[in-house]
Amino acid sequence: MNSGDIEANSTSSDGNADSKGSCSCSLFKGVLKLVLLSTILGLATNALRPKNSIDLSRNYFPTLAAPVNPEVSQANGEVGIVSTGENDQGDPATNVIQDQSPPDDGIQRLTFEDVRDHFLTAEDELSSTGESIVAFVDARVRDQYEDGHIPGALWLYHYESESLVDDLRPQLEMAFFIIVYCNGGDCEDSIHLAADLGSLYGLPPENVYVYEGGFNEWKDNEMPIKTGPEAR
Amino acid sequence: MMNMLRRLDATGYPLLLARLIVGLIFLMYGIEKVSDPIAFLKSIKNYDLLPLEPSWFINSIAVILPFTEIICALALLSGIGLRSAAAVTSVMLLAFTPAVYLLGSSLVGTTPEFDTLCNVVADCGCGSGAIPICQKLLENCGLILLSLWATFSGSSKFRGGLGGGDS
Repeated sequence: MNSGDIEANSTSSDGNADSKGSCSCSLFKGVLKLVLLSTILGLATNALRPKNSIDLSRNYFPTLAAPVNPEVSQANGEVGIVSTGENDQGDPATNVIQDQSPPDDGIQRLTFEDVRDHFLTAEDELSSTGESIVAFVDARVRDQYEDGHIPGALWLYHYESESLVDDLRPQLEMAFFIIVYCNGGDCEDSIHLAADLGSLYGLPPENVYVYEGGFNEWKDNEMPIKTGPEAR
Repeated sequence: MMNMLRRLDATGYPLLLARLIVGLIFLMYGIEKVSDPIAFLKSIKNYDLLPLEPSWFINSIAVILPFTEIICALALLSGIGLRSAAAVTSVMLLAFTPAVYLLGSSLVGTTPEFDTLCNVVADCGCGSGAIPICQKLLENCGLILLSLWATFSGSSKFRGGLGGGDS
């Protein structure tokens, strides 16, 4: 690579040493070599790095192909109550799920009030029976999770979820409300993880919800926060 | 005018300046991207310019592009493959700059603070973090000029290693 380019440089600096055509050809060859070297180095580094590598074949930005809850679909564009009383599994749904103009991407969304009510219910269930049908899932990076998360939330970083999900599967399969969150705002990792949970990882899509306000909204509302690596 | 530019180019100082500035900036931004490829992947996706399917396409760009930047930077700083590296950085900048403009334009009006393009502050995924979009565009225009200069410079001075002089 280098010798060819050095040659190209020296011929260009000589000015009249070579024709313009061969100079362009050398330049083109040099560019090709640079791109090839970058490709080899990039792919090799990605394959060898222990963390933060990208799975080339994986779709990191999935959305569900169709709405999982027809009622949610019907509620698009309007404020509406989409679920009350009992849920599809015949279990007592403890909260009203409201949906305000959600995008039509098949992802079920929860407001802060919904999530807060689910959280309080889960805390009650845990203190009385030791189990809960609500599972919170934190889709953010490990550092952010350890800096503070919703108490009881399971850490499932979206971009490493393939290697993490199996350990959490028992808790996720037990839950009827899997509430996924990230930071909120323009963070979309919770939406992509929710789509993966419902399609790639085989959990019932109707059980998966996204808390769009995310951890920032949770914190702003002065709700309980757990720091450190432990869920609670 | 052209004679003046040729005389200026012959001194080799514009080429040296171009190599130093473009090389160091690309090295810095490239290392930043290599350190967190996931963040870079998300940045590329946020532009909404590239297809998400097939997945390997956008994923490969996130994996390879930072190394292209680093290798070009090292080539510019070392003088090995100088013209080719300068040509690649020129092409990259000519592609990225309109994309940054489109990203900034898409954010105008999304919040009360972002009432004009120059008031938009965003992370373009370039490795510089969240900065005013106009500042980024200005920086890129400067880098384009310097890259093009390094590509087409006929100067025989300051072509080799930075410690040396002429090659």
